[in-house]
Amino acid sequence: MTQPRKSAATRRESPAASSPPPSPRTTATAASGPAAGSRLRAWGRHHAAMSLDSVRRLLRYPAGSLLTMLAIGIALVLPAGLWLTLSSARLLDAEVDDGATLTVYLEQHIAAAEAGRIREAVAAESNVEQTRLISADQGMTDFQQALGLEDALDGLEDNPLPASIVVTPAEASPERMEALAGRLGELAGVDEARVDLAWIERLRHLAELGQRITLALGALFGLGVLLVVGNTIRLAVESRRREIEVVMLIGATHAFVRRPFLYSGAWFGLGGGVLALGLLTLGRHWLAMPVQALAQSYGASFALPALGVGGSTILLSCSTLLGWLGAWVAVTRHLSSIKPG
Amino acid sequence: MIAFDHVGKRYGGRFEALSHLNFRVGRGEMVFLTGHSGAGKSSLLRLVMRLERPSRGRVIVAGHDIARLHASQVPFYRRQVGVVFQDHQLLFDRSIFHNVALPLEIQGTPPRETARRVRASLDKVGLLHRERALPVELSGGEQQRVGIARAVVSKPALLLADEPTGNLDPDLSADIMALFEDFNRIGTTVMIASHDLALISRLRHRILRLVDGRLVSDEGAAS
Repeated sequence: MTQPRKSAATRRESPAASSPPPSPRTTATAASGPAAGSRLRAWGRHHAAMSLDSVRRLLRYPAGSLLTMLAIGIALVLPAGLWLTLSSARLLDAEVDDGATLTVYLEQHIAAAEAGRIREAVAAESNVEQTRLISADQGMTDFQQALGLEDALDGLEDNPLPASIVVTPAEASPERMEALAGRLGELAGVDEARVDLAWIERLRHLAELGQRITLALGALFGLGVLLVVGNTIRLAVESRRREIEVVMLIGATHAFVRRPFLYSGAWFGLGGGVLALGLLTLGRHWLAMPVQALAQSYGASFALPALGVGGSTILLSCSTLLGWLGAWVAVTRHLSSIKPG
Repeated sequence: MIAFDHVGKRYGGRFEALSHLNFRVGRGEMVFLTGHSGAGKSSLLRLVMRLERPSRGRVIVAGHDIARLHASQVPFYRRQVGVVFQDHQLLFDRSIFHNVALPLEIQGTPPRETARRVRASLDKVGLLHRERALPVELSGGEQQRVGIARAVVSKPALLLADEPTGNLDPDLSADIMALFEDFNRIGTTVMIASHDLALISRLRHRILRLVDGRLVSDEGAAS
């Protein structure tokens, strides 16, 4: 009774079959000729439809979506702000390099003509770009002005300051400046040649430290963004579980199921990035006044740097990518637990 | 079209849902699968849909041993098998039109072609005038007809149905079965699991009877 029934199989064979028999292999691998073109168009259509659909879903729960974006934005502000601060410190760093000089102090009570000769000898040394002679009187005047004590120092009978020569080296690397200072110190009539390298070094180490902290914070907060997006998308997948099961029953690929969620993640990331940008701009305006005042008190002009077009593009791309990645991880992890039927 | 070759299916090691199944269903045939609940009707259909793989033997559909399809090929296989579920599996957040269009959207059919085929399919099940309605606004029989429209919209060569009349009264059930006969008449291979013996024996098609996972009778059509 359980024999195969070949007669029945052939008897009802219909020549008017409405479609070809299922052949999974040919369908799965057919990707050439006009079929490939129409599949590419279909793929593009689905991308467009899903990007719009995910926006509609975000707008359906505006408060929830905004909270997610805000969490992402806040997570991004700290590393981005640190990076900005650091890049402004690097601006200072560059200024320091430009202004790296050494000072050659001449022996006390050297005549002006003698000082001029020493200056020529200094200028003749290698790795010297510029020399400027500061006479003892000039030095005194500068000193009084810097301290704001003109009258108090007028009482001094004798000028205790030596004449000096400020040397701008051609190459300002610490090693070569040290070497140059050594050579200049040997010249006749020179009391001492001094490079103040310690604070330049200190600044370099600080910049290095800041860079590493920014990197570490960036990685941590990036991970935070992944988790925030991942968790939001996990809930979204869970709420659409039935729909996912149904479309998988009727032949949806994982890529098809994943697509709307990836777009949601990317939109969350982009929204978070925009909010981070807004927060950064707000912070910059809020800090501008005291920073300006502080810089002025040091006699410098210094403004907090803005992110600019390049920096903003990088921030937005990173946040969008992070959102997309978070969604990808969440959906992929979740899809394996959803079995249709 | 379908060949079961010494197929057995075990769940959890001991319980044998199906054992030693040997039968063939020819292209364009219409077959009923019957037996009491738990006899293995659904398990058998799940094997054909490639929701599960047999523990023993081979299930061949259109010449392919479907257990050996790679996971990435399974979606493409499922697109060629239309399935009607007892509980319809409709999506309640979208209109009848969009429910029926779902298989075509998954396949990437152009929108104009999709609209044309969805309307043709809805027209066939007599629900063209309800295309904008939501599934909840429809009666049980109408929902089942939407499920059928969705199963046939991509013109599958093989149509499976698991208790399609399970929740319907006799008149509606007869209507639904007549619909399946229509699709069979234009060449679609149809396999329907149903415990409604009274109904299916009136229809004079081949009937496979399962008892405790074994095929106990295979009666051909009377006509």
